[in-house]
Amino acid sequence: MSADAIRAATGRSGSLPLLFGLSLLSVLMALASLVIGYARLDIVAAASDALRGTHSLPALVLLELRVPRAALGFVAGFSLGITGAAMQGLLRNPLAEPGIVGVSGGAALGAVLVFYSGLAGAFLLALPLGGIAGAILATVLLFAVAGRGAGTTTLILAGIAINSFAGALTTLALNLSPNPYAAFEIIFWLMGSLADRSLPQLWLVLPLMAIGWALLVSTAPALDGLTLGEDTAASLGFDLQKLRLKVIGGAALAVGSAVAVTGTIGFVGLVVPHLLRPYVGNRPGRLLLVSGFGGASLLLGADIVVRLLPIHPELKLGVVTALIGAPFLFSLVYRHRSER
Amino acid sequence: MRCAKAVAFIFAACLALMTATLGHADEVRPQRVVSLNMCTDELLLRLADPGQIASVSWLSQDPRNANLPDEAKLHPANHGLAEEVLSYDPDLVLAGAFTTRTTVALLKRTGMRVIEVGVPRSFAETRQNIRDIARALGQQSKGEALIREMDERLEQLAAQVAGPPLKAIVLRPNGFTVGRGSLIDEILKRAGLDNLAARLEIDNYLQIPLEAVVLQKTEILILNGDSESAPSLATQALHHPIVTALAEKLRLFDMPSRLWTCAGPSIVDAVQLLIERTRAPSSERPPS
Repeated sequence: MSADAIRAATGRSGSLPLLFGLSLLSVLMALASLVIGYARLDIVAAASDALRGTHSLPALVLLELRVPRAALGFVAGFSLGITGAAMQGLLRNPLAEPGIVGVSGGAALGAVLVFYSGLAGAFLLALPLGGIAGAILATVLLFAVAGRGAGTTTLILAGIAINSFAGALTTLALNLSPNPYAAFEIIFWLMGSLADRSLPQLWLVLPLMAIGWALLVSTAPALDGLTLGEDTAASLGFDLQKLRLKVIGGAALAVGSAVAVTGTIGFVGLVVPHLLRPYVGNRPGRLLLVSGFGGASLLLGADIVVRLLPIHPELKLGVVTALIGAPFLFSLVYRHRSER
Repeated sequence: MRCAKAVAFIFAACLALMTATLGHADEVRPQRVVSLNMCTDELLLRLADPGQIASVSWLSQDPRNANLPDEAKLHPANHGLAEEVLSYDPDLVLAGAFTTRTTVALLKRTGMRVIEVGVPRSFAETRQNIRDIARALGQQSKGEALIREMDERLEQLAAQVAGPPLKAIVLRPNGFTVGRGSLIDEILKRAGLDNLAARLEIDNYLQIPLEAVVLQKTEILILNGDSESAPSLATQALHHPIVTALAEKLRLFDMPSRLWTCAGPSIVDAVQLLIERTRAPSSERPPS
């Protein structure tokens, strides 16, 4: 990552306090996620036991259940937020979001195929790699259809096609599984959840996600240049082909590995960049990191809500994010219509 | 004299009626029985003569779920579809009260004799269930023998349970556990175990968060998730690293769910297995 990219991603003056505030907020949300849970847990005693290396029951709950849940909420939310911002910058369309355009759906399909075929048990990285492969396929398909300055209608139609096809194949794969529970797990893959995730899952996806984030942040200057139009950006020396590849690769790595362990969680990548865009002077480059931290905060907040609500079995995360996100989608579509 | 004659006549009439009923019972012993549910399959296979069975459900032929897969494979399998059932032209259909509902409704409309078998929630209901099915099959004596055998084994097992009850909790796929008022709760009690979930206001089956399981201070954790089955998220929670970590603190073992999925003689095997696993002193680990 060059100094240019970092400067373009963080911004010189205006957006730095915002970036700092949002990263602080996301850390606070992660801490809140550690404290709030189903069982009463003396968090201080658990933490001191854990630090001393005593494997008491509270320490086990903290280390093996609460920490992976909070950490995965953070990194999955970050991935969705930053990917949403990058895709919107590249396609110059506020509706481009991994969930809506089918990238998450493709990732879920890839992960499902790997998990239920038993391949995930065969070698460690199979599950996230399956998710990434599915996400790449969906993204390439999307760009093939709606890549070059296509209108919103084309983008959304392509998204619907990819989403429904991936969803149908996911359902088919689950129905074909010999395990009687598999068919009921469609809802996890379509709506997402952080319940009972584990530390090994976190270590598995974190490096792949981090590479994805780095790729996406490195596109910041080019995304800023692209706001002037493709030709101007090209004349400024930005290689648009390289930019597309970076965004596709970054989105697939970040979202693909997130979806492989949390299922599809929609709307985070739509709501967060949309809310934050005015505060970064409409610069897509600066929007990347703030959207990441914003996405982490939103997803952790949603996960705290599902645990506080007296609804059992626990609500899927996608239900909460859709309740927040769908009205946003409505307002965006409405505004888009009146602009024409 | 007239009185004695009358008594003799009535006695003779009764005798004739009794033999007629007995003979009648033999006559109506159904000859083409179709079972649509894995649990009725097992009782059918145990109680009926092989010649009486027309078809059993496909689930019973899978050794991962069923207790009598080899016996089940001797008969054609059905998938609970009405058309399949009609093709056997059965004179009795056994179905579960909660499964294959559309098929059952359709079969009833055609006037077919369908017995819907509920899910027993106790040993008493299990005995009644066996008795009912045995009568429908015209195999009362086999039914009574089966019940007697179960009761004798249970008595022997009850003598093996000594000492205070051990605290236990069952963890099933999808984070479900079993509370009071369930067959499994009674199985645990008979094995000398104190089901902690029965105190948690959990009636029958309910989901329990993994962290609540860990903090329950249980002595025994019974995993009920058939490790040899194909992968699913439902059983993934049973392989969560925290469960492995718990093995250092308490006794942890797998329970094949086929032993207590269906209320049949296998629930006695379940009691026996629980007693063997929990009372065996050899594998006991000292609490750390």
